[in-house]
Amino acid sequence: MTMTKTKKDFKEIEGAEFGIDSRYTSKRKQLDDGKVLMEARLQRMKNLSDDEIIKARLIQLKLKMEEFIKEPIYKKEGYFTKFLTSYIDTIYSKRIDFAKDIDIDDNLLSKIVNNHRKPQDDFLLRLMIHSEKTFSTIGHFHKKTWYQVFYQEKLAELMANQDQWRPEIERHVSIKNQISIGD
Amino acid sequence: MVIVSTVDGEEHKAEIEAVQEDDYKSITKRRYFFDWKSERGQEVYKINVVGSGDILGLVSIERIPEEWRIHIRLITVSKENKGRDKEYENIAGNLITFVSKIALREYGELACVSLKPKEAIAQHYIDKFGMNRTGMTLSVEIKEILEMIKIYDHD
Repeated sequence: MTMTKTKKDFKEIEGAEFGIDSRYTSKRKQLDDGKVLMEARLQRMKNLSDDEIIKARLIQLKLKMEEFIKEPIYKKEGYFTKFLTSYIDTIYSKRIDFAKDIDIDDNLLSKIVNNHRKPQDDFLLRLMIHSEKTFSTIGHFHKKTWYQVFYQEKLAELMANQDQWRPEIERHVSIKNQISIGD
Repeated sequence: MVIVSTVDGEEHKAEIEAVQEDDYKSITKRRYFFDWKSERGQEVYKINVVGSGDILGLVSIERIPEEWRIHIRLITVSKENKGRDKEYENIAGNLITFVSKIALREYGELACVSLKPKEAIAQHYIDKFGMNRTGMTLSVEIKEILEMIKIYDHD
């Protein structure tokens, strides 16, 4: 078999370097392709190892946390605890084992994941180090991430609930010598 | 993410952001090969060197959540980055990795990114990005996505 490329072949390969138009011409075509592709994907998924699934879920969590840091939204249930439970449940089959690994009482962990207690610095710092170790074989995980999620959420919560705290707090704030600017 | 200059091998930090309405003024068919204006209303992203407004490549995508899939509608590099005389390496790789990260973030281990190149160029994508072939459709799934993140993602 000859490996000599014709002028036409070269043009086509070069074409690969500048772009692809793979827009579906109809919804029907998209659905048909999707169906065939799904069957093949399900077969390939059978070959995924548990390690690959855990790795995928951890990177997914990291990407979700980064997205939250960029665009924080306030939700009553709390994103910090949602991310935390997702992190723990991806790695451990029992949460008590995570509590042991970061040397905290499992009741305290339970209170934190159920939003009955806010995490303190010692918890956040241990979580930070635990995540660094977990991600060391997976990919980069910035040590600031958990703190950023925690404080972004706190800030979003404060801003969303101003009507609850502001009237009481505002009573304690006055400016006796108001500076007038622009008169 | 980084792209690599073909002149001196120097790495340049690149960023990918959503295309804004104003960008379409400079996105011409002459420089970006397709009629990108027809993609207005779709999810379209651009890649450029950090600090430079010059668009080096573009990708347009469609999310298909019921199949845990993102389909690449259009992908291109700019005229100067085509073929043997291109200025930078890794533009398409970074764009596909960016889309793969969105798919992974949204769909976890079920994530899939698909595209349908012409038959004559499909092998290039299989060789370069380890894509799977199903009929005429090429795809990256979780194994390939994890590999692409390892190679292209430096964030």
